Amino acid sequence: MTTTQPIMDTAYKYGFHKPENYVFKSKRGLDEDVVRDISWRKNEPEWMRDMRLRSLEIFRKKPLPLWGADLSHINFDDIYYYIKPTREKAESWAALPPEIRDTYDRIGIPEAEKKFLSGVSAQYESEVVYKSIQGLLEKKGVIFLDMDSALREHPDIIRQYFGTIIPPMDNKFAALNTSVWSGGSFVYVPAGVSVELPLQAYFRINAANMGQFERTLIIAEEGSFVHYVEGCTAPVYSTDSLHSAVVEIIVKRGARVRYTTIQNWSTNVYNLVTKRTRVEEEGIMEWVDGNLGSKVTMKYPSVYLMGRKARGEVLSIAYAGAGQHQDAGGKAIHAASETSSRIISKSISRGGGRTSYRGLVEVVPGATGVKSNVVCDALLLDPLSRSDTYPTMNIREKQVAVEHEATVSKIGDEQLFYLESRGIGKAEAQSMIVNGFIEPIVKELPLEYAVEMNRLIQLQMEGSVG
Amino acid sequence: MKQQELAIRTLHAGIEGKEILKGVSMTVKPGEIHAIMGPNGSGKSTLAYALMGHPSYKSQIPMTKSQTNPKFKKSKESSNNPGSIVVNGIEVINLSPEERAKAGLFLALQSPVAVPGVTIINLLRSAYQSLYGESGKRVMNTPHNPLLAGKWRADGLSLPAFLSKVKEEAGFLKLDESFLSRGIHDGFSGGEKKKAEMLQALVLRPKYAVFDEIDTGLDVDALKIVANGVRRLVQTGTGVIVVTHYMRILKYLKPDTVHVLVSGKIVDTGGVELSRDIEKKGYKRYLTQHAQVYVTSALMYRYISAGRKTVGNI
Repeated sequence: MTTTQPIMDTAYKYGFHKPENYVFKSKRGLDEDVVRDISWRKNEPEWMRDMRLRSLEIFRKKPLPLWGADLSHINFDDIYYYIKPTREKAESWAALPPEIRDTYDRIGIPEAEKKFLSGVSAQYESEVVYKSIQGLLEKKGVIFLDMDSALREHPDIIRQYFGTIIPPMDNKFAALNTSVWSGGSFVYVPAGVSVELPLQAYFRINAANMGQFERTLIIAEEGSFVHYVEGCTAPVYSTDSLHSAVVEIIVKRGARVRYTTIQNWSTNVYNLVTKRTRVEEEGIMEWVDGNLGSKVTMKYPSVYLMGRKARGEVLSIAYAGAGQHQDAGGKAIHAASETSSRIISKSISRGGGRTSYRGLVEVVPGATGVKSNVVCDALLLDPLSRSDTYPTMNIREKQVAVEHEATVSKIGDEQLFYLESRGIGKAEAQSMIVNGFIEPIVKELPLEYAVEMNRLIQLQMEGSVG
Repeated sequence: MKQQELAIRTLHAGIEGKEILKGVSMTVKPGEIHAIMGPNGSGKSTLAYALMGHPSYKSQIPMTKSQTNPKFKKSKESSNNPGSIVVNGIEVINLSPEERAKAGLFLALQSPVAVPGVTIINLLRSAYQSLYGESGKRVMNTPHNPLLAGKWRADGLSLPAFLSKVKEEAGFLKLDESFLSRGIHDGFSGGEKKKAEMLQALVLRPKYAVFDEIDTGLDVDALKIVANGVRRLVQTGTGVIVVTHYMRILKYLKPDTVHVLVSGKIVDTGGVELSRDIEKKGYKRYLTQHAQVYVTSALMYRYISAGRKTVGNI
């Protein structure tokens, strides 16, 4: 028999936190002074400071979205918008403060790094404190930096692209992020360069009520390839925390970018992220997005297919346990002919959790020969849980092939009986069924993420069976 | 030493409150092949499910009218005792399917359900470890984790040794290695389903295996392979119950004992000659004897309940 673990043990296994040790913490709440201060401390160019201030105005004017999850409990005045954890960025593992190293040890970074990673840029608090980039990347002309350093070292490239894919006026949270962003990654891959090993960044929040506002920009020049991977875990706190990132990606002609995220915030975090890609002729963009943690997630990775034969893919897994609402999905905008897109969403709800698929497929007039395929499958583990589908199709061209399928299933008694009749216990049988359900997406993940995903599902199932 | 046999005694079982098995008894010894034959609706599949402890086919007799209302006469058949299933000395009648499997029972289903994404090899790994792994030393089955796979050990086998064993059995059933990486029964053809079930039996080495209609929907070649599988099992000492409607598999297998199941009861037992007889003449003679009684009593029961609803008990 499986031993039952108390739900708190399994519900959030990284829910430890270390004593806070910060060099600088902004005051609670947000006003012009806070924004000016952030910009000043980062020693930013004037244009960035002005952009931040403009965005703050937009943030103030924009209402909260009237659709999606309930955001009315976010108290924007109770959040620290900027925290700088250590004096200097660490160039090597040994140079990290012991308690940060300990935290990473618990997540398992060094081990993972030894085995799988080529370059790690890990973010602790709002700032990248640990990174080790292989010389290889530099030799190929690939830039992989935290966004703050990138702004200092490559201001021209940043100025050229920053905010062009997701401008501050896009939505309230894009405006908020643009005004107070800190950290995140910048990746630039020159034409024709293929980065063989995935670039990885681990993120971590470690302070109550602190906002995490990363800003990531990836530019893949013609014919290049890069796979960027980020994974997040956060400790549990009693008051709500806000995470609002912006990720902008530009895939130029014939280039291919894959962006993989496993989000496992603690269940008090609001995770409101805008992710968008512009894909040019014959370019390929693949979003692989796993949302396990957080209290509320709103995230719809988008592909804007701007050039002929561009292709976009969104693979998304959402898991909602008790008190969680995962409102996730994907968007594909076909603005050119012969473009194709595929959105596959798999969601699991348990213990009264709620998952929603929200998606958009749009074909603009004149974009002919477009193909799009949307599949959303939901798995409900008990009668308390809920799953909804909100697909929007805006097809304004006749010569297109657009498919949409949606299924909702329960863990079948017959499936359970089948596995149990082979001698497998109920908890393990359930986790096998759930892991099997998400397998089509998990197999797309880098190995250690796939392992982590399987383990998380397993822990959740063991907590759910008496 | 405990009695080495599968002893089924006056087994009762039903579904949705309807009693289907009305006291089935039989004894299977290690290495024996028993065939259970019978017309459609005679309770063959119910017997198979009840042996494995399917929750919908409770061996427990559902609450009868006699329990809810003492005035309602209790028939002799509906005794409250579900009977007993003893596997080599272990009573399993109140055990879960998982525990029954651990006691040594195995059921190959007639139309097994698909479990998408759970590969055959992954299923076998988990099951084998559950059945033969040392307790307390179990490793979680995370299909993607090479580190945990290194710790996997069951019945003295390491994972690579286990995998080659599985491949050997798959080869015996003429199954391609790539077959092992497919989601169990997900989009399988009829023949593939039967072979996948047989493969599990061969790998998991149960003490007693029940094959429900293993011969339906198979071409002659597949039928021969499946029959060879049964023989292979029997050689290693597994007692086998083959449940069959069309008896096609009995061309390739010689059962030690043949039972005829009609209306939830074993109405005849004999040697292989019995199956040949039925093949020629069909079930007709049993049906006239027993089905008549069944129909009458079912009809009667309906009148009785109808009467109770409108005018109360007599």
